[in-house]
Amino acid sequence: MHLHKEELLKVLEIAAGQGADFADVFVESTSASQIFCEQDRIERVIGGKDTGAGIRVIIGQATAYAYTNDLSVAGLMEAAKTAAAAAKGGQNKAVIDLRSTAAAYDLPILKRPDTVAVREKVALVEQVNNAARKFDHRVRQVTVSYGDTVQQIVVANSEGLWVTDERIRTNLTTNVIATEDGKIQTGYESLGGIIGFELFQENDVEEFALRAAGRAVRMLGARPAPAGRMPVVMSGEAGGTMVHEACGHGLEADLVQKGISVYANRLGEQVASSLVTVIDDATMPGKFGSYRFDDEGTKGQRNVLIEGGILKGYMYDYLTARKDGVKPTGNGRRESYRHRPIPRMTNTYILPGDDDPEAIIASTDKGLLVTRMGGGQVNTTNGDFVFEVSDGYLIENGQIADPVRGATLTGNGPKALSIVDAVGKDLGFTIGRCGKDGQGVPVSDAQPTIRIPELVVGGIVEED
Amino acid sequence: MTLDMQKLAKSVIDLPLARGLEVEAYATRQRSIRVEVSDGEVETLREAAQTGIGIRVIDDGRLGLAFTTNLGKTDLLNTLKQAVVNAESASSDQHNVLPSAKQTKALELLDPSMLDVSIESKIGLAKAVEQAARSRDSRITKVRQSTYSDGFYEVGIANTRGVSVGYEGAYGAASVMVIAEANGQAEMGWSFDFSRVFNELDPGKIGEEAADKAVQMLGAGQVETCRVPVIFAPDIAADFLQVLAPALTGEAVQKDKSLFAGRLGEQVGSPVFTLVDSGLLPDGLATAPVDDEGTPSQRTVVIEQGQLKCYLYNAQSAARDQVESTGNGVRPSFKGTVGTGPRNFYLEPGNVSQGDMIAQIERGMLITQVMGMHTANPISGEFSVGASGLWIEQGQIKRPVRGVAIAGNLSDFLKHAAVVGSDLRFFGSTGSPSLLVEGITISGE
Repeated sequence: MHLHKEELLKVLEIAAGQGADFADVFVESTSASQIFCEQDRIERVIGGKDTGAGIRVIIGQATAYAYTNDLSVAGLMEAAKTAAAAAKGGQNKAVIDLRSTAAAYDLPILKRPDTVAVREKVALVEQVNNAARKFDHRVRQVTVSYGDTVQQIVVANSEGLWVTDERIRTNLTTNVIATEDGKIQTGYESLGGIIGFELFQENDVEEFALRAAGRAVRMLGARPAPAGRMPVVMSGEAGGTMVHEACGHGLEADLVQKGISVYANRLGEQVASSLVTVIDDATMPGKFGSYRFDDEGTKGQRNVLIEGGILKGYMYDYLTARKDGVKPTGNGRRESYRHRPIPRMTNTYILPGDDDPEAIIASTDKGLLVTRMGGGQVNTTNGDFVFEVSDGYLIENGQIADPVRGATLTGNGPKALSIVDAVGKDLGFTIGRCGKDGQGVPVSDAQPTIRIPELVVGGIVEED
Repeated sequence: MTLDMQKLAKSVIDLPLARGLEVEAYATRQRSIRVEVSDGEVETLREAAQTGIGIRVIDDGRLGLAFTTNLGKTDLLNTLKQAVVNAESASSDQHNVLPSAKQTKALELLDPSMLDVSIESKIGLAKAVEQAARSRDSRITKVRQSTYSDGFYEVGIANTRGVSVGYEGAYGAASVMVIAEANGQAEMGWSFDFSRVFNELDPGKIGEEAADKAVQMLGAGQVETCRVPVIFAPDIAADFLQVLAPALTGEAVQKDKSLFAGRLGEQVGSPVFTLVDSGLLPDGLATAPVDDEGTPSQRTVVIEQGQLKCYLYNAQSAARDQVESTGNGVRPSFKGTVGTGPRNFYLEPGNVSQGDMIAQIERGMLITQVMGMHTANPISGEFSVGASGLWIEQGQIKRPVRGVAIAGNLSDFLKHAAVVGSDLRFFGSTGSPSLLVEGITISGE
């Protein structure tokens, strides 16, 4: 990007020039590379560059946002005028002094993906494809998708903030399809982070392929999950979809301020079992949801949301923090320059406890063991949430019994977290793309092994 | 607006580097406005303008793609070069083909009145929706967001096999989400509508529907785990059709990813079930003269009275099955590749009202909200989602229910469809009437 401070300063002065309380500019240039394999073939290779800028003007509680692909000074001025006109303020002249901000910590990238030849990326994808296909004759289809992005950003605002940064993310996903006697099952795995190509030195991609293939084949023999209310143990390797849905979204300050979160007006109250501490941490090296600065230029932080069951704080962006008279917590994120920032999670997890994971299962008479969670959703208004079990087993007399398939678990956030009665000492992360208000951002979630004495399992009652 | 996206796309095809290769360029320009109102005040106003181009190169059967938002001559040439380089790393597939030029129908997708709507009218509409919701019932306590948004788009597609088309269109949409509160319980309700004509959006109807949905859930409780007939409200039935759609593409069948593989001509659903895809539906959101690779749009009956008639195809999957493309080449944006997907996709309505459906149920449930629909598996057909709605006994609505889950397989869902309602409605490009399905497991207490 060939933008100078002086040029952006002019743009900001126009945006903020009509009596705005605040204005900011987010300039982005993202190069993406993707390789897709299916039907035992490299089906397509995609590369491209997406550049643009978003300009925001805030007056009182009103926000105006305009974006453009036109990164010429004239193009940016036009967008700034549009945003300023929409905000319709007074005539105060803005005086802005832009000062550079340095990052508080580093997120090192050892091997930049944009220095790796397409050939090498293709070889990696083929390795996953071949390993999954060789696993079992029932494997019928394997899709493998590799992607990397190099996102360069500049954030400047009317309070003098000037931040430049580069975020490099690399990821790999596979979906394996197994068939037998007319039945079809799938096994999915994903891997990724704010990391370079070293991701594939730290993780064995063949093992990764076998996990997905193993799950698809195992699910062919799994029976439908039972239906009804029962104890549920979530294994540490299962990921963290539950914490993300059951309390994460409800702790985002925009939903809290709108009064559409069950966690609104409950700071300092007991909202979960005393065994439960929930943290959102943007500073973790290599994790998918990490960054040095959020998309408003605020430094990333480790935020304790719930401590020993007590609600400690919410996740804020600039606008919501100003409304509550607090400091932003570094959770202002946007999918791209096309979107305005809103409070979002980063890497969200339940802090490990003291229990032995195996002992938690052994002390459970009858119930469901979740070894991998898929997607989820929450109704923040009443706190009801769901998450998908993509790998699970029955627990019988403290023993892991038959595998089960096709279940969604549903519960109520504050109620479910209040009855957590065991928290293990392990912790396992999974990655995902979290959607909110039409914006998707990379996140990761984790939980130790935990037990919830009752959740509703959305299974099947067989016909009489 | 002029159709210069067509010229832009054509300019890539005319580059000397494109000679001797199979090249396609897909160019779009979009302008949009989104107004969010809360408590009678504008909370957010967003204006957007963007242009982008995606270039597809097929070199000896190998597919390479590249895209850019920078449209200078050098940028376009570099993007084409990148697509050529990307193709070198892909595997060869003789079925990788671009469509040839065919006659297309001109469609009127840009209502001239859309260009004359003032920003004040747009804000006024969002405010009217909020007002309608608030005044509907005293238990409506909060409005999360009342929005109006619109989109103006121009598309140009050109390829080295003679395709060169362009079209433009516009639509407006309004939505609202409200909270009803009583006795310490809060429940949410939402509504949405869209039109290609601004004056056809009815703010009163949108606001009142959201309010009614929230209020009817107040006091919701649980039910016992059971297996009963269920009525899916039109928006929920449409959600299920969206999960079903990928399995009905030739591409999914060819890749062993469909529960409908090898079942052409078979009875896959009950006789009440007729499923249609159309790129030509008047007023449809996905209506256009051509699909996203320039094949003329058509109307296709996919399932007729329960019988599987055909699959949906783009140019590549059609070539593999030696059939004609059904005009279902669909790309997510200029940045993505051409896959196969539905256009306007809907269940043909029957002649029974939702009220008459309820009246014929001894014990069952009307499902009005689901959660986690994105976790339904379009490959295995299995779904298990959170649900809430209204419990029915002896032909009457008894009480609201939440925190339950419903599960099953889409193939059973089709087979056990018993009654199709008369109330067809579109939610985006997918439409459905109410649908009564027998024997659905509800997981509860």
